[in-house]
Amino acid sequence: MLAGDIEQYAELVHRYRDRYARFAARMLGSVDEAEDAVQDAFIRAFEQLRQCRDPDNFAGWFFLILRNRCLAERRRVARAGPGPEAVVVPAAEQADGPLVQEERRRALQQALLELTPEQREVFVLKHVEDLSYEEIAGRLGASIPSLKMRMHRAYDRLRERLKDVL
Amino acid sequence: MTTVFHPLVKRFLDGELNLADLPPELHAEARAAERLLGAVDRAPVTLPAALDARVMSAVRRRASAPARRWWQRLAEPWEIRVRLRPWILGPALAAAAVLVLILARSQPPVPAVAVAAAPESVYVRFVLYAPGAHRVSVAGTFNQWDATTAPLAPAGAAGVWATTVALPVGQHQYAFLVDGRRWVNDPAAPMVDDGFGRRNSVVAVTAGAAGARAL
Repeated sequence: MLAGDIEQYAELVHRYRDRYARFAARMLGSVDEAEDAVQDAFIRAFEQLRQCRDPDNFAGWFFLILRNRCLAERRRVARAGPGPEAVVVPAAEQADGPLVQEERRRALQQALLELTPEQREVFVLKHVEDLSYEEIAGRLGASIPSLKMRMHRAYDRLRERLKDVL
Repeated sequence: MTTVFHPLVKRFLDGELNLADLPPELHAEARAAERLLGAVDRAPVTLPAALDARVMSAVRRRASAPARRWWQRLAEPWEIRVRLRPWILGPALAAAAVLVLILARSQPPVPAVAVAAAPESVYVRFVLYAPGAHRVSVAGTFNQWDATTAPLAPAGAAGVWATTVALPVGQHQYAFLVDGRRWVNDPAAPMVDDGFGRRNSVVAVTAGAAGARAL
């Protein structure tokens, strides 16, 4: 496979195309952007296939390429300036009906995009992908204390941003 | 109303504590934390079926590009097989020994102090002039772009921030993060394309006494 066999690579694309799509969508804020990111990451992975030192862990290696693509995109967006402010409808006085929950979900997704990419990454891996700190540390090569520090700063920023809907 | 979570509530959010572990005065805060996690969108995402075709079309174009084929020929390791007949082994070894002697005589003696093990890492000082900034950090390939691990501190003159980081020998890409939101390249360092349309600063760390050097 590492010799670049195209047909075998097509199988890998089919197998892993959706595996990290949710991660990319939550990191970037939309499925469309996630699709672009996954596509770019697969093409880049093919070009760098020789650098995959552990062919049995293609998924983990591909995840790092996709993750770097997502971080680069968020840095690009951050450099371009802040996007439009999301309208947060105060819901603290209302019952938790479906509409309130949907509003809160949208507000959280918008607030996630306002975190630093590194904070958002840890939040998404832990609370969307349901990974433990140990698993996240293994994937990213980061220490657990530094991951917790990022996460706890993310909690505070989210609470500040969502104080009207929590 | 405070807008930061109590440390115990953060541990509750991390799944390390249950609601019953928290004192009653933190229960309201913990319920707000529960509402936060309840709003997380965990719905699976399925990408359009056309993605496979687009990826493979691009892959096939790249695989068939002449430049890539030439690069592969140059970059791929070549396997060279040598078959020796026993009777030629003696003269071949003698010739090799003569060659080694000739080369050794033509080289000046090397002082012993030059044979030092290369250090595994070198201290590199990052400096940025950022007047008006409240906090500055450096993130790069050496810390997985984690902007929390290498903060810069005000250094001497107003607006100058600096830190020293131990970097392994090799080439590293990096950028400064100013006030947690603005990425700034190092004006004193060369830059490279990050592959996604942006440019990063780059530093090459060598094992020599000079430490880091520009490319």
